[in-house]
Amino acid sequence: MGKIYEPSLPKLMEAIATEARGMKGLDRRNFLKGGIAAVAGLASVQIIPKASASPNLPPNLPKWQSHLGPGVVSKPYGEPAEFEDLQRRTVPWLTVDAASSISMTPLQDLEGIITPSGVVFERYHGGIPNVNPEQHRLIIHGLVERPLVLTMDDLRRFPSVSEIRFIECPANGGMEWRGAQMEALQFTHGMLACCEWTGVKLSTLLAEVGVKPDGKWILAEGADAAGMSRSIPLEKALDDTIIVWGQNGEALRPEQGYPLRMLNPGWEGNTSVKWLRRLEIGDQPWHHREETSKYTDLMPDGRARRFTWVQEANSVITSPCPEKPLKQSGFVEIRGFAWSGRGKIKAVDISFDGGVNWERTELKGLVLPKALTQFSYRTTWNGQPWLLQSRAIDETGYVQPTLKQLRDERGGWSIYHKNSIHTWNVMENGDVFNVQIS
Amino acid sequence: MFRFLRLIPLVLVMTFSVIVSAGPLGIGSVATPEMIAGWDIDVRPDGTGLPDGVGSVAEGEGLYEAKCASCHGLFGEGEGRWPVLAGGEGTLDTLHPEKTVGSYWPYASTLWDYIHRAMPYTAPQSLTDDETYSISAYVLYLNDIVDDEFVANRETFARVKMPNEENFYVDNRPDSKNERCFENCADPKAFEIVTTINGLTPTGHFKEDSGVAANHYDGNPSAASESGISKVKNDTKIVLSDKANLGKGVYDMACQACHNPGIAGAPKTGDKAAWVSRIDQGMDVLNGHAINGYQGADGVMPAKGGNMSLSNDDVINAVAFMVELSR
Ligand code: HEC
Ligand code: HEC
Repeated sequence: MGKIYEPSLPKLMEAIATEARGMKGLDRRNFLKGGIAAVAGLASVQIIPKASASPNLPPNLPKWQSHLGPGVVSKPYGEPAEFEDLQRRTVPWLTVDAASSISMTPLQDLEGIITPSGVVFERYHGGIPNVNPEQHRLIIHGLVERPLVLTMDDLRRFPSVSEIRFIECPANGGMEWRGAQMEALQFTHGMLACCEWTGVKLSTLLAEVGVKPDGKWILAEGADAAGMSRSIPLEKALDDTIIVWGQNGEALRPEQGYPLRMLNPGWEGNTSVKWLRRLEIGDQPWHHREETSKYTDLMPDGRARRFTWVQEANSVITSPCPEKPLKQSGFVEIRGFAWSGRGKIKAVDISFDGGVNWERTELKGLVLPKALTQFSYRTTWNGQPWLLQSRAIDETGYVQPTLKQLRDERGGWSIYHKNSIHTWNVMENGDVFNVQIS
Repeated sequence: MFRFLRLIPLVLVMTFSVIVSAGPLGIGSVATPEMIAGWDIDVRPDGTGLPDGVGSVAEGEGLYEAKCASCHGLFGEGEGRWPVLAGGEGTLDTLHPEKTVGSYWPYASTLWDYIHRAMPYTAPQSLTDDETYSISAYVLYLNDIVDDEFVANRETFARVKMPNEENFYVDNRPDSKNERCFENCADPKAFEIVTTINGLTPTGHFKEDSGVAANHYDGNPSAASESGISKVKNDTKIVLSDKANLGKGVYDMACQACHNPGIAGAPKTGDKAAWVSRIDQGMDVLNGHAINGYQGADGVMPAKGGNMSLSNDDVINAVAFMVELSR
């Protein structure tokens, strides 16, 4: 009896793996779990215990070492290993239609400060236009000496820059103004990404067209169905705005504005207009829909803040987090990201008791202005519950506020710019939950 | 802005060639007044950018009902979860603020600009200037900002004052002042710990038996044809005709917004019960309704889904696609 299954076990595993390959993420995981459980069940009945371990484990020779793998350019454009589950995800009930919606970056799975282009969070108001770069044009006009129309080839002739900068939707965390709602880091903080962006400084383009003395504002407009438009003050444009065509070493992804977008480092993502087709120089702001109806912050007295551009200092612990519970007692490196739209991160502190006492963490890797910055704290966990928090301090001396401090100022209905200290509740069994302390 | 350029193109072209000298790097070509005029669609609170044209509340009513009400509701109240456009006065400082054109928007120019550039949602930049004046006037009327006699043109529209204009002020952050304290910074006895409500978030990708499996846009199949329509297709193993295959792209572009979720009375694609008696009418009736639009018992089907740039054949192909999936 037992003999029937023994030789076929690896085959069965392989069959399960092959079938799972065609599935994505969730399906694959559940399928694998089910499949492996079934096999394990067979194994425990049919197979002597020693053989129940993977045939690829020492002292056995792993199967991938016993034959040749695929050769070069078997995949001219590579993709993540089939075992990885790196995905943008969304919370479908947040919006009414996918063409004006948001998906989030899987921060829990990121290694280092660069977000791979394929999982950078998405936010559109009219879907992703399919823009042909040969037919794409950028027109610069208005209060200028020389109105210009530029092709992509023209743009690439300008002196270029490459900068690593974060981009964040001002609604990041905005679902939690009035209470903890999201059960995962990807949804509490994932409207955030950090990439290397390549393009021409807007100040270079403005010198080329020659801004007239009364030119003080710039309308940036997209070539998407929403005709996305925002007013940008000239000071920002002359400071660090980039007109971007490259992202992480290749052309922008369609979701990120291919072939051309604006990037206003440190400012709310919506100002970084994608699929950029037009820049008009004027003497006043335009007060368009995305800077009046949306992206203004309603205060408890019924009045509202406008032009709330900067993303203030923020931080979050990415390991552990709900998606990455603690699995072992003993040594643990607590890791996370901090970022500030006002410049560099100066320090990040960590609390294990919900903000009563704080310790300094170590910043690691690159510490760049307006970029994700990694922090690390080494400690030991022996099953004690934690109320884990992180607190960022940026180079202006700004200290990331508590949720109570923010609510005292802004009430619970301002939607945008919720950058408060975040709390993970680590349980005795290592599971991690999103909680709020008030 | 600078729409007057259109009126005097000759003079301008001449001045142009005189004043234009190359920039410091000499890259790019001159943007001609014609090019600029086509793309320069923005409108500002002082009325700059409003074009010639005219439209009344009365004309706006019919246009709004045909092109907007299926999503935004007959009175701007919003169908289902689509945006609410009217009401909410006096709610902004309450615990249930309702931000609408009337209760929140500081400038009427924003309404003209936005409707003209982005609405109707499925057919942006399809409205004429006159239609935009009429519909904007009607939305203002729904908000009690103008009366039913109002006729909008460049002058009258620029004079409209919005009730909430004075209640906006420029960002005054940083507002909160936290200190970098290290010991006894809070009183743990006063802590109130609020936990997450389970089941609101997709968690199937990391929690076993979470019961909330969706991790893509499954709640609303209009997300991507992948997760929506083609799933219907796979489940039922339908082989599409050539016509229907051609229609799929049109459908994704111009019809799915209403027919995937089945909003505002639109029969859901793939919902056999909703389609059986419709299909019985015959393809000619269905095609006619889709091309010319009609008011049915369940709601308004706008002509060509509101996208007048589609050819009749495009629409007929899309109908074939919908019918084949719904039979
Ligand atoms: C198919 C559904 C649909 C139709 C039809 C439609 N809209 Fe919309 N409308 C939307 C959606 C979705 C949004 C929000 C877009 C976004 O998220 O940026 C919106 C936003 C708006 C807003 C801004 C609301 C706010 O509070 O910011 C206005 C004003 C508006 N629409 C007017 C119109 C008018 C006028 C028409 C008819 C000419 C129209 N819409 C037709 C779906 C629709
Ligand atoms: C703004 C929402 C909306 C859009 C966009 C839309 N429809 Fe419809 N459609 C409706 C509604 C509502 C009905 C049902 C009207 C009724 O019978 O009461 C309908 C009904 C129909 C019917 C059934 C007609 C009948 O006689 O029973 C067809 C066919 C149809 N639509 C095709 C299309 C096609 C093709 C497109 C895209 C080109 C499209 N629709 C886009 C709202 C929409």
